[in-house]
Formats: sequence, structure tokens, C-alpha cells
Amino acid sequence: MTFAGRRVLVTGGSRGIGRATALAFAREGAAVAFCWAHDEAAAAAALASLRATGATAFAARADVGDADAVARLFDAVRDALGGPVEILVNNAAATHDGLLMMTAEAAWDRVLDANLKGTYLCARAALRGMIAARGGRIVNLVSPAAFLGQAGAAPYAASKGGIVALTKSLAREVARWGITVNAVSPGLVDTQLVAGMAPEVRRGIEAQIPLGRVARPEEVAAAILFLASPAASYVTGTTLHVDGGLAML
Amino acid sequence: MDREALRAEVKELLATGLRLDVAPADIPTDSPIFGTDGNGRGLGLDSIDALELVVLVEERFRVAIPDEEAGRRAFGSVDALVDFILAERA
Repeated sequence: MTFAGRRVLVTGGSRGIGRATALAFAREGAAVAFCWAHDEAAAAAALASLRATGATAFAARADVGDADAVARLFDAVRDALGGPVEILVNNAAATHDGLLMMTAEAAWDRVLDANLKGTYLCARAALRGMIAARGGRIVNLVSPAAFLGQAGAAPYAASKGGIVALTKSLAREVARWGITVNAVSPGLVDTQLVAGMAPEVRRGIEAQIPLGRVARPEEVAAAILFLASPAASYVTGTTLHVDGGLAML
Repeated sequence: MDREALRAEVKELLATGLRLDVAPADIPTDSPIFGTDGNGRGLGLDSIDALELVVLVEERFRVAIPDEEAGRRAFGSVDALVDFILAERA
């Protein structure tokens, strides 16, 4: 198993891409922790699915945009997994639908705090252990909106664009210790949001994707696991686009 | 631990922890740990090397260097680092 004995933290792991990623790591032998923000029932189900693989698993509620909460999360994860995080997947995210001119400051702050500040806080918390170990992997989830823009989702797009720049900057800062920092940019993924779409809306979106369909969460998880694996040892500071050819960057 | 012993331990940590090509005893006590002073004296370390020293010092001496401001106080010189550790332990 590729990740036997490795310690992994996935933020936003109760649903969708985060849940599929945590489960994929568990199936590959990792000890996996995840945090969640809102859906306690989904978190409990996700934790049960991880433990069903036989993996060491841990889950905690945490607001990744809050520095004290992140510090408590990393302490708890270290205790639960038996050591510092070796692989960090920054997946937790918030969004806000609305045009920029009408976006309230509180909505802007909420999205930027959860996405961009959360990525910064979690990476900062993980780095001491990774530098001490002289190795580690950080994978940040971004979006085609970071590269193409998205009308009606400027805070989200801006936060993800910020994460792309953070990814490149941090990759340069920590490369000397063999720590890699990369991003994965999923296109539309078959999660609860897509499941709730009207069929004609979904077909309209799929018509814009060269591969003609939305992604399965497991397809995004596979890209994240690749970047976290020894096979990606010479890959850092880049974005892997898992979007069915939507952006082609 | 007295000041002299702590200074020796800090120099040993710098030399071995950062894999310096210099004997601990040859590390000056008053020149900058990172960068160089006005006379070009220093250990040839850059600001990113400081991250590893943060980790090493925090682990060895059980003190916190949480941000740039603390780093500036701690890493001015070997003696500054000794002062920082003693103050944080007090």
C-alpha cells in the first residue's frame, strides 16, 4: 500500500472530494484525520467508513479560518495519529453566490477566511513537523474559477486564485527540505450540489466539458493521492487540472 | 544551565542541526546568524534557513518562536539567541 503508516489530514473531509480523498488514503494504508464544519451526521458516517477499512482514523469539528481552532486541531490530530501530519490536504472551502457589487463585507470575509486564510493557517501549522522530518506533502484544492474567473462567485474565485499563488510561493520556500506543495483544480464534481441540479442545467454544463461529464469525487482523489505519493517526488508548485479538459491550462 | 553552557549548546545546535561546514567553537557569538553584518561577517545562511533553526530551537529548548518579530529578536546573533532562550524560560 502506497501510504502505509503515513499520517494524513484532510480538511473538509465529511463530504464530497474530501471524503473520497480521506477514504482513498485509508484504503492505501494511511492513518487519516479529517475536520468538518457543519454536517455532524455526514462526519460520523465518513469516520465510520474510514474505520471500516481498518485504518486509524480521527475526525474533529474545526473552523480552519480560526487560528486557535487550527492549533487545537493539529494538537488533537498529532495525539490521535501518533505524530505530526506528514500529508496535508487543504480541501475545506466556503462559497457565496452573488455579484461583487452587492456582496456584503461579511460574506467576502467568510469565504476568504475559510479558503485562503484556512489554507495559510493549516499549512503553517503543518510545516514545523514537516521541516523537522525533512519531508512532507501539501496539496491545496483550487478551482477553474481561479484561472478563468467566475461571474457571481468573485470571493470564491479570488480566494482560489490566492491559493494558487500561495502554493507557488510556499513551494519555493520549503523545497530545500523535500516538502512539495501543489494544487489540484477540479472542475464540476458529482457532489450534492450537482445532484440537486435540474437535468437540463446539468446537461448544459456537461456540454461545455470536453470529456462530456462531471467528475466523480474518486477521480479528484486519485490526483490528490498522486501528488502526495513518492511518484510525484519531483513535482512542486504546480496545479494539476482535473476538470475534464474544461480549462486546458 | 549557565550562560556559557547554553552558548556552547546553541553553537553546537547551529553547527550540527544546520549542517554547517564550521566547528561550533569557531562560530562567532556576536555576528548575525542569518545574513551578514556591515563587515561582511556571518554564517552564510539565508532567511529560509531560519525556518529550520526555528524548529530546532523550539524542540531543543522548549521555547516558542511564533512569528517574524520573535525571530528577529532571537536570531540577531548567538548571544541574542542565548538571551532570548533565557528570557523565554524565565
